[in-house]
Amino acid sequence: MLPAMPPHHPVLDPAVAYPKIAGLRTALDDGDWPACRGLLDPAEPAERTALIQAGADEPGLEDFLRGVLRADPADGAAGALLGRHLINVGWEVHAEERAEPGCPECFRKAERVLISAAAHSPGDHAVWVSRLITARRLELGRSEARRRYDRLAELDPHHLPGQVEFLHHLTPRRGGSWERAHRFAVEAAEDAPPGAHQPVLIAEVHLGRWRETGRGHLAGETVRAELYDAAHHAVWHPDFRRTHGWVEVVSTFAMVFALLDDQQAAASLFAELGELDSAHPWNLLGDPATVITKYRRNAERAAGGDR
Amino acid sequence: MITELEVGGIPVVLAPTTGPMHAGLVFRVGFADETLARRGITHLVEHLALHSFGVADYHYNGATGVEFTFFHMQGAEADIVAFLNGVCAALSDLPMQRLVTEKEILRTEENGRGEGPTEAMALWRHGARDYGLATYPEWGLTGITPDDLRAWVAQYFTKENAVLWIAGPGVPEGLELNLPSGRRQPVPAPSSALPVRPAHFSGPSNVVGWDTVVRREARSAVFSGVLERALFRSLRQESGLSYTVQTNYEPRADGSAVVTAVADVLPEKQSAVLGGFVDVLAGFRLGLIDEADVKTVITQRAEEATRAEESGARLPGQAFNLLSGRPVQTLEDSLAELRAVTVADVAAVAVTAHADGLLMTPGRTRADWAGYAEAPRESESVAQGTAYPSLEDPSVVVVAGERGISLVGDGSAATVHFDECSVLLIWPDGARRFVGHDGIQVHFEPTLFTNGHALLPALDSRVRPELHAAMPARDPSRIPAPQPPGQRGYGHPQAPSQGGKAGPIVGLVFAVPGLLLFGGLGLLMLLASTLDDVDRGFEVVLGLIFLAFAAGAGYGVFKAVRSLRGR
Repeated sequence: MLPAMPPHHPVLDPAVAYPKIAGLRTALDDGDWPACRGLLDPAEPAERTALIQAGADEPGLEDFLRGVLRADPADGAAGALLGRHLINVGWEVHAEERAEPGCPECFRKAERVLISAAAHSPGDHAVWVSRLITARRLELGRSEARRRYDRLAELDPHHLPGQVEFLHHLTPRRGGSWERAHRFAVEAAEDAPPGAHQPVLIAEVHLGRWRETGRGHLAGETVRAELYDAAHHAVWHPDFRRTHGWVEVVSTFAMVFALLDDQQAAASLFAELGELDSAHPWNLLGDPATVITKYRRNAERAAGGDR
Repeated sequence: MITELEVGGIPVVLAPTTGPMHAGLVFRVGFADETLARRGITHLVEHLALHSFGVADYHYNGATGVEFTFFHMQGAEADIVAFLNGVCAALSDLPMQRLVTEKEILRTEENGRGEGPTEAMALWRHGARDYGLATYPEWGLTGITPDDLRAWVAQYFTKENAVLWIAGPGVPEGLELNLPSGRRQPVPAPSSALPVRPAHFSGPSNVVGWDTVVRREARSAVFSGVLERALFRSLRQESGLSYTVQTNYEPRADGSAVVTAVADVLPEKQSAVLGGFVDVLAGFRLGLIDEADVKTVITQRAEEATRAEESGARLPGQAFNLLSGRPVQTLEDSLAELRAVTVADVAAVAVTAHADGLLMTPGRTRADWAGYAEAPRESESVAQGTAYPSLEDPSVVVVAGERGISLVGDGSAATVHFDECSVLLIWPDGARRFVGHDGIQVHFEPTLFTNGHALLPALDSRVRPELHAAMPARDPSRIPAPQPPGQRGYGHPQAPSQGGKAGPIVGLVFAVPGLLLFGGLGLLMLLASTLDDVDRGFEVVLGLIFLAFAAGAGYGVFKAVRSLRGR
């Protein structure tokens, strides 16, 4: 008789994978702005954007950050963090009552902070990523989203958090098309260095389209082949690195292969994740913790059975 | 070097020039001095004064502006003397036999007022008075009488209200300039139709515009130039979103100046140009001024002023200065003021400029997301009085009372209070249009209401007679007739271009096929064209939308009974 497997409890808090997030949270809780800057300033752009995204989730930051900005209106990190924080506040308001969550007035408030932040720090990646979000929430139009993405791409043509945001603007829901979104994802993946995280954009497009149009989309041979190809260029590439964002990338491919019913591939990616998981994209399927537990179990069972 | 002299009691500013003699007689009068009921009277005076010169073979012209009207000519001394003396003689005895013809000419004259893409901004900023009037058609033309003209000339075209400039060696022999005596006329105080600033409104689809009012000083002019460089760099050089990017610095007689900025827009780039524009303005608001730009602009402006001094081109501005009660400014003083401007000066102007800014967004885009309040386009209150439902759509009513008139429907209202009325347009067939000080309009077609014509005497009597403006007769096909619900077509079949010479407002045509075909659409695209030559095909896209979907099948009858903040 096999020993009972301990039940898996998904660890969704990004701070477990990225300890700097915990440091930033502590510094924010303490109201210690120099410590915050000490963590943010040396970070690589993608890491910095992710830190700001995670730090902005802390409740009640507005007064503190506005105080920082009063003392130094040109503090780009405070502007970026406050802008992102206000976006998150906007998402939470009425989130349960609306299909499209968010409060427009909150997003306008965020946008006004971000306009100033962009003027003071036009080279701040996180500001432009956040402005891609406000552009979408405030429905400012596709050409404005493109302009904002172009400003970001001038700084870094491979800034994945911005590419993920811009991808939303290209989907049919925002007046674009799946073909457009797909083209952008493929080009971003092709342009990125070997082993980079960008091929996950291809997985994102197919998951998005699958969600809108039904399971059939993933069944097509071309789509399948493309998803395997994308995995080979990212999570299965020898140069793939566990830099900031890797958990979500691996987790996304795990979900892709679980949906493609390649339990072996899914299981190996789950194994790579170890105890870590990310809420996205599993939240497309329901409560992420429940869904992940179920899919992990299926994959381990099926893959174990094959052995 | 500018010399100040006097001819016939009229101040003269004189300076040498490199080319033929050029002289201009300037009066302190313009659109801003008119009322909407007599809109066009200054232009009409200008035309009548020039009539006697016919198609002579020399370079003369007249120009009517917002604050100044002038007659100028370049050529031989003797011709200039004949021209200016002739203008003064004509002003003293206007050729009234030409009145009917000149009115017709003015109605067909196109683009004579230097209309640009930002023309509507004056209306949104100032409403239907003083500095907002330049936006409006010459509605007064039909009703202006010889007595009106004589009174206007007696008030404004006088010695005391004139200045002559001459680019040439001296005052030419024989110049007399016989003008009646009067008083120097102060400029009107600018009205405001913007309770909250910075503000925005939706304008034409192919342009982003912005304007502001700042103090008239060298650093404001430099600010305008620096803003142009920043906008050009961002919108054209870096992002390729716009082709034409310009700013303009326009001094006013009251010591202020209007800075205007425009960028052209391709239909698919509306939001991006707006976004880029907003970002550049934000940089200025925050005092982020490029020092190199400031230096470049100062150098450019100094070169321009120096060249202008050599050609005599500074003279008209100095004549305007004298008429505004400001002394003549020497080139040296002007250059010294210009060269003293610092980055901090420009940043200080930028802060006040932003606070008073009015942003015109392209098409249906908005700017509330960027902190610009929406400029009022409907009224906050409804007049108290009797409600008259439309024959076609009872959910839309006109409310007429002792103190005002409202058009109410779909949750919004347009109200004109009679004591804040700029003009009452009166058509012979009974149509009426009230335009309030704030630019909000209520148009009333009596044929669309039960006993509508019986209401007219009472409505007319509520507005002071001097604010009445007679409109020419409309083509009968343009007078709306009520159609039973269900049989209503959309819009009027008549093409907007049929106005011809029939006269000013011929009617309102609502082109709303989208609404009628897709009645459930949330937004009604209300495209109202005010049709006549004087309007020059103005398309009034600023329409209030409260007639929107109430009618379901459209609102044929009501197409001419609506209010809008427009021209």
